[in-house]
Amino acid sequence: MDRTRIVLALVVLAGLLSLPFAAGPFWTGLATQMMIFGLLALSVDLLLGHAGLFSLTHASFFAVSAYTVAILQVRYNVPTALAAPAGIVAGTLLALVFGLAVRTRGVYFILITIAFGYVVWGVAHRWSSFTGGDNGVTNVPFPAIGAAAITSHTQYYYVVLAAVILCGLGYRLLIRSPFGLGLRGIKASETRMQSLGYRTSLHLYAAFVLSGALASFAGVLYVYYNKFVNPVAASFPISVEAALMAIVGGSGTIIGPFIGAGVVLGLRNWVSSFVEMHHAIMGVVFIATVLWAPQGLVGLAAQLRARLARRGEHKR
Amino acid sequence: MTSAILQAINGVSLAALLFLLASGFTLSFGLMRVVNMAHGAYYLIGGYVGLSIAQTTGSFALALAGGGAAVVVLGYLIDRFLIRRTGENHLAQVLLTVGVAFVLGDVALQIWGGDNLMVPAPAFLKGAVILPGDIYYPKYRFVLIFLGAFVGAVLWLLYKKTQLGAVVRAGVDDREQVNATGINVDRLFVMVSALASFLAGLAGVAGGAFLTLYPGAEWEILVYALVVVIVGGLGSLEGAMIGALIVGLLDAYGRWLLPEFSYFVLFGPIALLMLFRPRGLFGREH
Repeated sequence: MDRTRIVLALVVLAGLLSLPFAAGPFWTGLATQMMIFGLLALSVDLLLGHAGLFSLTHASFFAVSAYTVAILQVRYNVPTALAAPAGIVAGTLLALVFGLAVRTRGVYFILITIAFGYVVWGVAHRWSSFTGGDNGVTNVPFPAIGAAAITSHTQYYYVVLAAVILCGLGYRLLIRSPFGLGLRGIKASETRMQSLGYRTSLHLYAAFVLSGALASFAGVLYVYYNKFVNPVAASFPISVEAALMAIVGGSGTIIGPFIGAGVVLGLRNWVSSFVEMHHAIMGVVFIATVLWAPQGLVGLAAQLRARLARRGEHKR
Repeated sequence: MTSAILQAINGVSLAALLFLLASGFTLSFGLMRVVNMAHGAYYLIGGYVGLSIAQTTGSFALALAGGGAAVVVLGYLIDRFLIRRTGENHLAQVLLTVGVAFVLGDVALQIWGGDNLMVPAPAFLKGAVILPGDIYYPKYRFVLIFLGAFVGAVLWLLYKKTQLGAVVRAGVDDREQVNATGINVDRLFVMVSALASFLAGLAGVAGGAFLTLYPGAEWEILVYALVVVIVGGLGSLEGAMIGALIVGLLDAYGRWLLPEFSYFVLFGPIALLMLFRPRGLFGREH
């Protein structure tokens, strides 16, 4: 990292740290949501941006983990120190099963993950004796580990911020590791990687499970913020919006999914203050992204920078 | 025993409806490699337009034709001005058409509201038929089975026995080659896609008369249709028929025997199928 990037990172960090004081509870809440959904988008993008697999079932891991935490905390009074890890384990176990989908590629993978996602939504929706049906599970407390208890949304904002930064750094290590390079190799040419001796299906399966684990972690953060979970968390729009966030921001980058989450959630908040048609707005964003910004905002920025640089050379 | 038979008929009538939707989806994929996630929204719009026609004219036949025709126009515009621009990038197609479906769903919500609406079935289809063994069954769903079988037979004959069908099959196998022999595959696709849209709109009217129409119905029906296509194999007409029957029956028995887990009953076997035949029963390498 060169010096300007370090300075930039520090400025952003200072901004994020002072946000609750500068902007008040509304913006702090919105920023917490952006980070949580950005993390979900990041998990989707591990498959999409690095392995070339377009999963539409990530709301499943997100929701299963959120439901696990909620049910353990609310019904069985299990402390956070056990409930939160249990949520991640539950979501990851599901990813171990749904990882079967990596036997397929391309359109089949997309269609099968949609179908998988629907199973989880259906169970959350219909198995009301356990999941609470459409009402879901409510009154989830703030997390508390031993004597250290969170008591406000502002404090929770800092928890999420720390978690997101740690995840971002871990993710960076992962995608720069030989494993991450292997994934990008598979995205570029699976047959070539196979002839180099990689077991590509196993590689993709591992990526799928890791990605599911990250989505599960986002689910844990979500349920403690939201205080309740209902079948909406498992629904198809959540999966597809997470993918949209990754693409709008810039697929294959770390910051992109968070920028995308900011744009999508910010836009929805702003628009829903004067029209009710928020699904239509999302739809228009989908269409516009595909037609005009397939590389996302990070890609647009890179293009712009390249163009400016070229113009600078001409002047010289 | 009686319930088991009733559920079988329920399953087959759902299968008939799913076939109407899935056959169009699978053929447009087979020929042009287009994945159209707005197919469920086409179903819903077709159903709503049919509902309005049935309410103003009182004719169910007009509703079926009008619902189908409206979606043909809508589908042509969406295909011509949006889907074409994605080339063969499936990821872009899926995102784009999901976006289109969101927009259409919201527009439908503004026009027709959020209540469950039922397309009025014609008077002569109301009531029940009495089957051997004193089984009463709604006449309408019985007729739906015949409609599905009729459409299936017509499609199959068109596809297997006519020159047009032969050209479409050739296009599914190797589009460039067909183009090179001087056949305009693009025009062919406009026809196939119009047919697919028409069937989706028709299915909306037919389904709206017993499943009702409501916001969100487009996704529920689309997922069923996708499962049909996954089971049968993308691009295969026979696959859509067999897949529709499997999904319809599994769903009916699942709802009857394990109401809370009916989705598992439906999707469990599909996960198994994927282990052994990842491309579905009749699918080929694409």
